[in-house]
This record gives sequence, C-alpha cells and structure tokens, in this order.
Amino acid sequence: MPANPQPQKFKQVLVLSTAMLSFISFWKAASVVLCDMGSSAFYAGGIAMNAFGPAFPWFVLAVMVFSGLMLMVYVESCAMFVRGGVYKVVNEAMGHSMAKISVSALMFDYMVTGPISSVVAGLYVSGLLYTVLPLLHIQWHVPHKLFAVLFAVTVTAYFWRENIKGVEESSDKNFKIMGFVTVVGAALILWALATAYARGFKLPPFELQFSEGALGWMTHFPYLRTIGLVGIFMAFGHSILAMSGLETLAQVYREIEDPKIKNLKKAAFLVFVFCVVFTGGLTFLASSIIPPDLIGTKYLDNLLSGLALELSGPYWARVLLQCFVVASGSLMLVGAVNTSMVGSNGVLNRVAEDGILHDWFRHLHKKYGTTYRMINMVALTQIGIILLSGGDIYLLGEAYAFGVLWSLVFKTASLILLRFKPDLPRDWLFPVNVKVGKTQFPVGMAVTFVILLTAALVNMMTKKVATVSGLAFTAVFFALFQVSEHLNRKKSRLYAQDEEAEEKLNLRREADISAILPELDKPRKILVPVRNPNNLVHLRSVLETADDDTTDIIVLSAKISKGLQLEGESGEIMPEERDLFTEVVLLAEKYGKTVKPVQVFSNDPFYSIAQVALAAGAEEVVMGVSGSTGAEVQLERLAIAWGMLKKSETPRPVTAKVVWDGRVLSYKLS
Amino acid sequence: MIRKEEVPLGSILRSDFVFFMEGSPAKEEVVRALVDGLYPQVKDLISAKALLEKVTEVEKLNNVLPTGFYIPHAKLAEINGFHAALAVIPGGFFDPKSGITVKASFLLLTPNKPIFFQRHLNMLSKLSRLFQPAFIDSISAMRDGARVLAAVSKAE
Repeated sequence: MPANPQPQKFKQVLVLSTAMLSFISFWKAASVVLCDMGSSAFYAGGIAMNAFGPAFPWFVLAVMVFSGLMLMVYVESCAMFVRGGVYKVVNEAMGHSMAKISVSALMFDYMVTGPISSVVAGLYVSGLLYTVLPLLHIQWHVPHKLFAVLFAVTVTAYFWRENIKGVEESSDKNFKIMGFVTVVGAALILWALATAYARGFKLPPFELQFSEGALGWMTHFPYLRTIGLVGIFMAFGHSILAMSGLETLAQVYREIEDPKIKNLKKAAFLVFVFCVVFTGGLTFLASSIIPPDLIGTKYLDNLLSGLALELSGPYWARVLLQCFVVASGSLMLVGAVNTSMVGSNGVLNRVAEDGILHDWFRHLHKKYGTTYRMINMVALTQIGIILLSGGDIYLLGEAYAFGVLWSLVFKTASLILLRFKPDLPRDWLFPVNVKVGKTQFPVGMAVTFVILLTAALVNMMTKKVATVSGLAFTAVFFALFQVSEHLNRKKSRLYAQDEEAEEKLNLRREADISAILPELDKPRKILVPVRNPNNLVHLRSVLETADDDTTDIIVLSAKISKGLQLEGESGEIMPEERDLFTEVVLLAEKYGKTVKPVQVFSNDPFYSIAQVALAAGAEEVVMGVSGSTGAEVQLERLAIAWGMLKKSETPRPVTAKVVWDGRVLSYKLS
Repeated sequence: MIRKEEVPLGSILRSDFVFFMEGSPAKEEVVRALVDGLYPQVKDLISAKALLEKVTEVEKLNNVLPTGFYIPHAKLAEINGFHAALAVIPGGFFDPKSGITVKASFLLLTPNKPIFFQRHLNMLSKLSRLFQPAFIDSISAMRDGARVLAAVSKAE
C-alpha cells in the first residue's frame, strides 16, 4: 500500500511586490512633494523678473502664500478619495470628458516640469563652471544653453532608463535631498539676512514693467492694462509656475502612514512653510541683494547662484556657498525630473485602468515589468521639448503654468460641486463654510476658485506660448484618450472578459514561504487569510487596530488546487484574485498601513494558513467568516491543521479569530 | 472570551471504546461503527438515529487528514461532557475524495456549549498532532484497546 502523502510544501509562493506598500511619515511625504514643488525656487524668480520686472518677489511670495490654499484643496480631495488626484476628483464631479480634459492639461504640466527642471539644473551647473573654471586657470568658455540642453537630455535619458527598470522613487532619497537643501537654504538665508543688515535692506518696488512678450495678446487690449487688478493678475499668472508640483501631494497621499489625514495636514503645512520661506523668502532676498543690473543679465537664469556670489564676505567662501547651492539645486531639480516621469507614468496608468488609454500602452516590459511604452512616450516628449527649447528657460517658463492652472481650476471646481454630494465621506473640509441644510457651502473654496479662474483666463491672454502649446498638447492628449477609449470599447465588445483592462499587478515568485520570512522583521505578526474581495471586514478590523511600527500584516490568499498534484499550476494570477488583491491594496492605502500580500498554492486552505502562521511566527490569525461553513467550523479546521503541522510548542500563544460585522470569535490554538 | 483548557485524551477515551476493524471498510461503515460503538455512552441522552444524523451532517464538511487520520466529530446540546471512540483500521480505508488511505479514526462528541468550545479546539488540535503516521502504525500493530489507550496517554 502506498504511503500516505504528507502535508504539502507549497510549490511556489507569489508575493505581490507592488502592494508591499511601506508607508511613510509626513516628513518624508513633504520631502517628496518639495523635491518637485520647492525646486521652482531656483527658476521662478528669474522667469518672473523677465516677464514683469523688479516687482517679481512680491508675486512669487504671493503665489507661495496662495499655494497654501491650493494645498488645502488637495487635503480636502484626499480626505474624500485615497487616490484623490485631478483625474479621480474631476471624474467624480464633472464626468468622464472633463476628467480627460483636465488630465490632459495635467500631463502637459508633467511634460514641461521635467524639461524646465533639467534645463535649469544645467544652467546652474554651467553657471558654476563659469565661476570656478577661471579660478582653476582653465580657459574654457562654457556655452550655457548648449551645456544646459546636453545636461538636460542626459538627465532625462538617465531617469528614462531608471524608470524602465522600475526603480521606485525613494522617499528616503528625497528626504536626504531635502535635508541637504534645507541646510544650504538656511545658510543662504542667514548669510543673506546678515548681508542685508550690513548693507541696508530695501524692499523691491511694487512696479509692474511687462516685457513685450509677457503681454501676449493683451497688446491688442491696451485699455485692460490700465485696470490695476488686471495687471496684478497678469503678474500673478506669470509667477504661478512657482506652484507646480501639487499633484504630487495627491500621489504621495496613498503612501502616508496612519493617521493619514492628520499626517497629510502636517505634510501640507511643512510644504507651505518651506515654499513661503525658501521660494518666497530667497527670491525676496535675491532681489534685495543682487544689484538690479545683474539680476536682469548675469543671474537671470541662476538667481540663487547670483545670491550666493553677491553676498558680503570673502570670495572663496561665496564660491564655496555657490557650490553648495548648485549641488543642492541640481539634486532637487534632477529629483523633479524623476518625479515628473514617475508622476506622469502614474497618471497614465491610472487613466489606463479606466480604459481611456489603449491597452497597447499598458504592455509590461518583459524583464522589468514596467509600463515601458508610457515611460518611452513621456521621456521622448520631454527630450523633444528640451531640444525645442534650446535651453531657453524663458521659453519653457512661457509654456509652463498652463497645465498647472487649468488642472487646478478643474479640480477646485469639482470639489465645489462635490460639496453638493454631502453623503461622500469627508474627514476634512477647506475652511470658511456656510452650512445650508446638509450642505457645507464652500465660501472659502469658491473665493479661491475665482482667483484661480481669473489667473487662468488672464494667463490665456498673456502667455501665448503656454496657451497655444498647452491647448495643442491638451487637444492631442484628449484625442489620444478619445481614440483609446473607443478602441477599448470595441475590444471589450469583442471579448466578454478583457483581462488586460484590469489593474496590472507585479508578482514575485518564490519557491517557498521561507523566502519571504526575512522581510517580516517586525516584532508582531498577524496573518489575515482572504478569499472574497467583498468580505474583508476582518482585514479592515486588523488595519484599524494594528500598530504599523510593530506589526507585520501578512495577507494570505490560498489558491486551492483539487487533489494533491499542484505541479500543473500555472502560477498566474486570475482575474478574481486580481480583484481580491486590488481591494486589499486599496484598504491598506486607506488605513496607511503596510500589508504583505502573499498567494500560495495548496490543496487545503487551512493547511496553508497554519503553515504560513507557523513559519512566520504569527501571534494572531484573523479570518473572515465563511458563509458556507460558519465560524466554528473554520476554527475547528484550523485547529486540526494547526495540530497536525505543529511540531513543538510555539514560543507565544497563537490566537485564532473569526471576525464579521459586529462579532468576533477568539480562541487560542494549542 | 479566550480560554485555554486542556482535557487529557486518557480521561475521555476508554479501552473498551477502542475498536479494531479488519479488511478495508468504506468510510461510511467506519463512521457507523464508531457511532454504534460509542452510543452506549450517550444512550440516555440522545437517540441513535439522531446521533448518526448529527455526526453524518458534520462529516460532510470534514476532511481526512494527509497523515491518514480522520476525526468525525459533532457538538451536541444534549451532552454535558466529552465522549470519544477510536477505530483502528490496520488495512486502512481509501478516501476517494482526497486519495488518502486512512488507518485510524477518532469520533469526538463535545457538548454544544460555549464553555466547551476552547477545549473542543484543543482536543482536535491534540488529536491531529498525536496521530501521525508512525504513531498510527504502532497502534495498528497492538490489537489491544488497553495497550492503545496506554500508548495514547503516554504520547500526549
């Protein structure tokens, strides 16, 4: 008689690597946003000065103050939707078509962010070489713009490759960069304040001197320029590029640790303070310390280098400070290039999930599993923009802000409309509201919207390059989305089930559960078996109570194979499992807690649970109730499997729980 | 509410309720034999028919273990203590559902009261831990209820 088979070892274990979300502190979240948003400090002043003259610090500062209101808009949207970016919010409030238009505008913002950041970084580096090379007796004249273009293309190509390889944007790296930038920024501010104190401080004039190019089509309406408020909005519009990068806050929100809203508010406040002090304050100081003739000529495209070099003190020390300014600025600006690529890829993936980008774009790289066609499209467009600009940041600055402004206009309008859906869960509201019935009428947000819309409309008149290129780009992207959607619909009519329309999940295969044990390094471990995406009450209860710092939450899906032979399993994730894991990821994001989703192949789910619990040293096994067997039978089967597999006493008692709405059965496994 | 309570197997299994079955009976025959054999313990509390029905009902959800052990069990409101019987089948019976040959089967009756459930789980866990293939083979060779009971008591 053949020997009885022994309990199965798993033939393979699938680990959902993209879902192993590690949640980040508000400090790190703020640093991710600032690497994008704060980088505008290095170029916003120069571009604004070029557009409307010496009053630029007032307007850059005003934009930074206004960014506080926009940050609050984002906090409210994130408080409603975990993935509360422009697309999601506009889609909810205004429908599909407006969402496509707004996301097209947002894409334009991303497409220009990369080039402007990399070109500015190149200009700062070439500016440094201009200072340093003569000191080293190297007589090499660096052609600024050519150098900037080559630098920008190199940087973009580097991040193109990195993103294809799927190197995640690291919040740790951003945090370190921002730490360095803060130290350099603080040194610069203190030194500048000392210089201003010694030389005497003079506020910049509040006098608008628009260049011909900055008037745009407004030259045809000279009477409008006589209206003071119009001029103020024109100048405000030319400075608004300092506010780019807000969408990063919505993207990073999903990764913010519990308590999410509280931490989001802290992150938004940090971003606001940094932007006002760093971007607003330094621009102000630069305008006061750098002689006016040098601002408009020598330092227009590297204003903060100019500030460092024009401070009081020995020349060597100022050059040294310039080195630090360029190093910190380059790191930040180069980080913004990566953020723009990661962000645009994220937005495109998000819209692709909704079927408005053709599945062709979602094809995963064979080796790296990334959506390389989207990344190629973004990188090639950015390189094209860099080459077209010829290293001219004013041209790029002219083109910029269209996407920022219009995506913010759509988003803010959508949030106002969503206020009239009072049943939507909201953990936070933009301040100044008047309660009418169940609706909190958004007075504060409505005022913000009016300012935003006015600036956007005035900008359309004054920033010709932005209007023409922005409209053209938005139209192209909108057309791409329309055609994609049409093709996807056609395809879904041909195929009853379109697997590719589902979310793409990255899976890592391991031969055995022991391979993932080193990743479970927290003192407590809770195992949460899952099966039904509509029955995750138990996971929710664990996410509500577990301490993310001390607890690993292992989410286990056991794929059942009838009989004992598992060798034939393909190891592929099926649509229902994809739905399950997607729900798991969304819940983890909502609570801001890390989960480790794992799928194993087994002939009995309870053996799988017991085996993983034993291997991982879980303290608790928390199951959802099974509608077919009931909680007690589940516990009995787990107890049997537990006893059969347990070879010795476990170091800690293991608790088995079955959780369903309003009830918990909790027993020890012995 | 969490309880941790242990019940020694030796206290609920008596040597005269250890049965040896020859040949290769069907699974249903083994369950029937265990129920019939154990029935005298609970005859004043439940009818034989009701007991068989209850055990058979639970048995539908029950799986044999890969170790060649099978634990039909039921929770009964009518009883106030654990009752057990053990069938040793040296020839084994083949379970077509799982493809496993079963050589030992333990019928466990537990009072259907919340206070007993932790002990019930402990008992199931203990049984599945104890009845590993080597242990089943060793008791199969004994052919004596008292020796089997002694081996069980010693092993736990």
